[in-house]
Amino acid sequence: MSGILVIGEVVGGSVTSQSLEAVAAARKLASDRGETLSGALFGADLAAAVAQFDASFSALLVLDSPQLGSYLAEPYVAAAELAIKRLNPSVVLLPHGSRTRDWVPQLAARLGAGLVLDCVGVGIKADGVAVTKPMHGGAVLGELFVRGSPAIVTLRGGAFEPALAGGGGNVEHLDMPPMPGAGRIQHLETVATETGTGPRLKDAKVIVSGGRGTGGSENWRFIEEAAAAIGAAVGCSRAIVDMGWLKWNHQVGLSGTIVAPDLYLAVGISGAVQHLAGISNAKTVVAINNDPDAEIFRRADYGVVGDFLEVLPAFTERAKELRK
Amino acid sequence: MHCFGALAHRKYTVYDGLPKSGHYPNRASKETQEMNIVVTIKQVEDPITPPSHMVLDPSGKQVRSASGAPLVINGYDLNALEEALHLKEKHGGKVTAIGLGDVSGRKVFKRAIAMGADSAVLLADPQWEALDSFGIASVLAAGIRKLGNADLVLCGRQSSDSDGGQVLYWLAHMLDLPVVSPVIKIEESDASALVVHRLMDEEYQRLKVQLPALMGISSETNEPRLPTPKGTIAATRAMIPCWNASSLGLETSDSKVTLEKLEIQIRTSSAEFIRRDSGAESGKALADKMHELGLL
Ligand SMILES: Cc1cc2nc3c(=O)[nH]c(=O)nc-3n(C[C@H](O)[C@H](O)[C@H](O)COP(=O)(O)OP(=O)(O)OC[C@H]3O[C@@H](n4cnc5c(N)ncnc54)[C@H](O)[C@@H]3O)c2cc1C
Repeated sequence: MSGILVIGEVVGGSVTSQSLEAVAAARKLASDRGETLSGALFGADLAAAVAQFDASFSALLVLDSPQLGSYLAEPYVAAAELAIKRLNPSVVLLPHGSRTRDWVPQLAARLGAGLVLDCVGVGIKADGVAVTKPMHGGAVLGELFVRGSPAIVTLRGGAFEPALAGGGGNVEHLDMPPMPGAGRIQHLETVATETGTGPRLKDAKVIVSGGRGTGGSENWRFIEEAAAAIGAAVGCSRAIVDMGWLKWNHQVGLSGTIVAPDLYLAVGISGAVQHLAGISNAKTVVAINNDPDAEIFRRADYGVVGDFLEVLPAFTERAKELRK
Repeated sequence: MHCFGALAHRKYTVYDGLPKSGHYPNRASKETQEMNIVVTIKQVEDPITPPSHMVLDPSGKQVRSASGAPLVINGYDLNALEEALHLKEKHGGKVTAIGLGDVSGRKVFKRAIAMGADSAVLLADPQWEALDSFGIASVLAAGIRKLGNADLVLCGRQSSDSDGGQVLYWLAHMLDLPVVSPVIKIEESDASALVVHRLMDEEYQRLKVQLPALMGISSETNEPRLPTPKGTIAATRAMIPCWNASSLGLETSDSKVTLEKLEIQIRTSSAEFIRRDSGAESGKALADKMHELGLL
């Protein structure tokens, strides 16, 4: 067993940039261990994606099947198992996301392989790999050792610089193998949540985010007005979702969306580790909070201590003038 | 290996002596819908503990609260328990909480009973202290098999201490159950299937899952109830059996993943504060600062 395999993810016909981050991590691991680097892509209608995935693979296995269209774990597990049997890699790397967090543990269980999800670092070690992983919501960084082969690791977005994308070489197409356990789960439909008119949280350059400190749903308009004034997406803490003011697709954090804006304005958010886990890649963080000891001020670059009902409307007015 | 006689216990007697129509139109079918639900429970450090209030134990591999705050039930497990209690109210049946822990953890399991679980089982053995996800799932699987006859296993989508997110999948594999996670709603349920919503990125999937099955429940599903006075009395009286490796017939297996080291991430930096005479002045100055930095 030798070689590093990186399995990319395709969303909306394109390889995700997080997949290219995984390629970068895999390439480093391959050169440190003196092993070959292979790739794999699974999905439906992959022609464009295959061309985008990195070129420097010794093999790129592709399984392009309509069965991989609307997501269910079973076909992904079957495809990955086939690719792993073909290549016998010592390490398998993948981007961590809403699909991989579901099917990769099922793959590991089928193979009896060691797995760590959602890592921010991966390095070589005899007979396995050493990984670093945020734990306790991000309050603690753990070092773990994954024994045996293949060792499987998913990587958190933003932890690595993406590799340059290039045209695929040495492409080999696989056929869909039989799927163990299929049929017990039936996909009825995929329902999109209304995202409103503003920019999507995940890609937003500017985000205004509110927390429990905004006091009541009648005050939420101040958050929306601030966001509209500076062209920002609206985010929130889990407290807001728990209270039913906003849908979960607005939640920033460990169990919500991981964001990477240039500016993140946190209003009435205490700065729990699980929330901060979602903004570790934000460039500039600004907080408005009436508690000078709030944890958020340890993460923020700039802060105002005060009642947001006084601070935020004035901020919004001034921002409108400045942006004229 | 995957013996799981989940359907064997179901009562398919349709006629129960009551009129088929009239006042009890659903009675007969309700009987057959009884659900035997197992909920997995983990004790964790309270997740609201900020890093500055955390310490490592002497092994360096376990986080403790500096003030000795008691362990709590993992939040998502409470959501799983709430969902189980809700299904029991709808269909009848039984809810059993099960989980690993040391004997001091009995208190945590009593809380599950105080909320309404019918019974709880603690899985405790000194040799289980440093298990990985695979090892924990092996113990839970053995415990759930020993309980027998589960129609539905509900787990929290992940635990807030390790943030591992794997145990439920290994468990589903060992019990040969279909698995869906993270579930944000159980829309429909009957004796043979559930219709659930699974959270994806900006959408959710509606899935129909055959029973028996295992679900990873997320916090969007419900608001866990508080213990009831009746439940609290039941909890003080409840016997919580403790099963160990030999009572489960389990041998130790090699771990696939080992924890080498933990490091608490204490933040020492502080924001640059913008202070003016009033909140409104500060807000205005903040906008000026952001403009100056080219961020507006
Ligand atoms: C497993 C797990 C996963 C989680 N995932 C997430 C996640 O993805 N995202 C997330 O956000 N949370 C998550 N949480 C929850 C997290 O632990 C916190 O409970 C949550 O982030 C708190 O939200 P908050 O900051 O809005 O509320 P609080 O902690 O209640 O903070 C409110 C803040 O508002 C301030 N305030 C009050 N009044 C005013 C005022 N008038 N003006 C200005 N400030 C004011 C207060 O000083 C306080 O700091 C998770 C928890 C667990 C256990």
